[in-house]
Amino acid sequence: MRLSPLTIKKIRRFKSIKRGYWSLIIFALMVTLSLGAELLVNRRALIVHYQGRYYFPVYGRMLPGKTFGLDYNYETNYRKLAKVFASRHAGDWVLMPVVPYGPYENDLKPNRYPPFAPSFADRHFLGTDTIGRDVLARLVYGFRIAVFFSLALLAANFLIGVSIGSAMGFWGGKFDLFFQRIIEIWSNVPFLYVIIIISSIVVPNFFMLVVIMALFGWISITWTIRTMAYKEKAREYVLAARAMGASDLRIIFRHIIPNTVAIIVTFAPFAVSSGIISLTSLDYLGFGLPPPTPSWGELLQQGWANLDAWWIVASVIVAMVITLLTVTFIGEAVREAYDPRMHTTYE
Amino acid sequence: MHGVLLEVENLRMHFPIYGGILRRRIGSVRAVDGVSLAVSGGETLGLVGESGCGKTTLGRCLLKLYTPTSGTVRFDGQDVLKLGKGALRRLRRQMQMIFQDPFESLDARFTVGDILQEPFDIHAIGTADERRQRVANLLARVGLDPAGMTRFPHEFSGGQRQRIGIARAIALAPRLIICDEPVSALDVSIQAQIINLLLDLQKEMGLTYVFIAHDLSVVKHVADRIAVMYLGKIVEMADAESLYRSPCHPYTHALIAAIPVPDPAQRRKRVLLSGDVASPIHPPDGCTFHPRCPFAAARCRIERPELRPAPGTRDGHHLQACLRAAEIRLPALHWLKRQNGR
Repeated sequence: MRLSPLTIKKIRRFKSIKRGYWSLIIFALMVTLSLGAELLVNRRALIVHYQGRYYFPVYGRMLPGKTFGLDYNYETNYRKLAKVFASRHAGDWVLMPVVPYGPYENDLKPNRYPPFAPSFADRHFLGTDTIGRDVLARLVYGFRIAVFFSLALLAANFLIGVSIGSAMGFWGGKFDLFFQRIIEIWSNVPFLYVIIIISSIVVPNFFMLVVIMALFGWISITWTIRTMAYKEKAREYVLAARAMGASDLRIIFRHIIPNTVAIIVTFAPFAVSSGIISLTSLDYLGFGLPPPTPSWGELLQQGWANLDAWWIVASVIVAMVITLLTVTFIGEAVREAYDPRMHTTYE
Repeated sequence: MHGVLLEVENLRMHFPIYGGILRRRIGSVRAVDGVSLAVSGGETLGLVGESGCGKTTLGRCLLKLYTPTSGTVRFDGQDVLKLGKGALRRLRRQMQMIFQDPFESLDARFTVGDILQEPFDIHAIGTADERRQRVANLLARVGLDPAGMTRFPHEFSGGQRQRIGIARAIALAPRLIICDEPVSALDVSIQAQIINLLLDLQKEMGLTYVFIAHDLSVVKHVADRIAVMYLGKIVEMADAESLYRSPCHPYTHALIAAIPVPDPAQRRKRVLLSGDVASPIHPPDGCTFHPRCPFAAARCRIERPELRPAPGTRDGHHLQACLRAAEIRLPALHWLKRQNGR
């Protein structure tokens, strides 16, 4: 599919906004790294060389201690295994990921209570939280969950928005009036209370939470697409398509919606950022994903309650600031690339 | 001449105006207010008038792009306005439209190849390869390089875009093409090329045109018969020769007198109409032209004129809607005799 020269020009304009371009690179890097989080932050070793054979425990099934000559049947503690191999000097070695802790394991030490301060010796680079889980691990896995949540929410909102919004805009009439009233009523329902009520009755898992948030988030994108559909319907090329005998569905999907791409693309980064914020806020209040799911909001809640363990709050705040800043810069740059000199000013 | 291809009877298109607290219908814009005409196969009917007289609306009503308030449109005997969706889509293959704005009427996100292929896609004609071949043929037929298939509309000039619009209109080999001011957005040198292209295509494909324009000098070259519209009604309809030689209606007379003559040595008598065009929401009583007509009499304010044969003719070749046509004498437009007619 050949890219229109208009699109190429927009991409070039986007690239010329250095702030947005680098934010995109940084954010893409973060997301890519979080996709491979298991290789960077994991309690499982990357490679184990034992008695001449190689094991790759990261993505496989649980390898009990007996596999490596230890005397227990539950999952091998690879950190301890590394120490055991090192003391034996038998040619066996263990390669651990950069951060050798998982987000769900409690690293408890004798005679000390968590939260433990950051220490390079222990490889707890950002310390632990109040029950001994590594903060960096929680951050990385929490980021992945937050980003997936936002993207899933964006996709759900987009699907609903496109179908209802374009129907409203294109056919208008009673359908449009009816849905406008629904939108008016629904947008006045207090979203937070409803979520609290639902969360108290049924603890939501990931998909249920996406569904609940989509139930409230579909309105803004629907309205935008409805406006675009009304505007595009009056354009002459739609009239030309009708004169040729094009069906309504064909006009909507092949003419109107591609012309709303501009709006969607400028909408998307801000939707991602608002998704991350919403999930974090819900988790902070305790009404989001259930524990022990790693989540920034939950970390924030712990950190707020234990301000003397400053590393918890500091890590989350820095992580959030970086993430939201990059996403916002991307969004502004995309908006500028589509509509130059209409919104923000750049030096 | 072939038989009658398009017959319009008493077509009315009134757009509702809503207002008031309860958003009731408080009035209508009478864009087309009782138009009747007939077009025979192979001929070109010119439709002229000022901006806002309803010619574009009429053109769109003919294709049922707007649903008229009342009246009938008969294409080849079939009542277009009563057809169901499937039959209408089949009929659309035979009636096409060329739009005024060459940029707006082409979807800027489609390549030219996609735009021209769309009619074939919609009506499921031929295989993918055949369609591409047809697109290349279409482009060559309108005088463009077939390699332009992969380019986008904004990469072409205005005249070339209009050629693409023409190519799209002839893609399905229609019998009737409504040309809605196809050359108004182009400069004069390009206008001539496009008009010649349209005339060539008409000869080659046996097309019937309804040529909507506001520029009488353009219509002179193209049309066999001309209908003059004012405020949604036809005020005069005649074959081109008679219309320019001896117009009966004062409005037509004023329009023809206003055609610029590219010869500074010739002095033309200006026929200036007073006032502005009345609003189509509240058209004047009686003859809608009477507020501006230099020959208006008392009965013009009361009686509503019908299209009647012009004085001196018997059959329907020259119809006009002036109540006083037999009484008034319109000053002759001498300079037009010098110019070449069609």
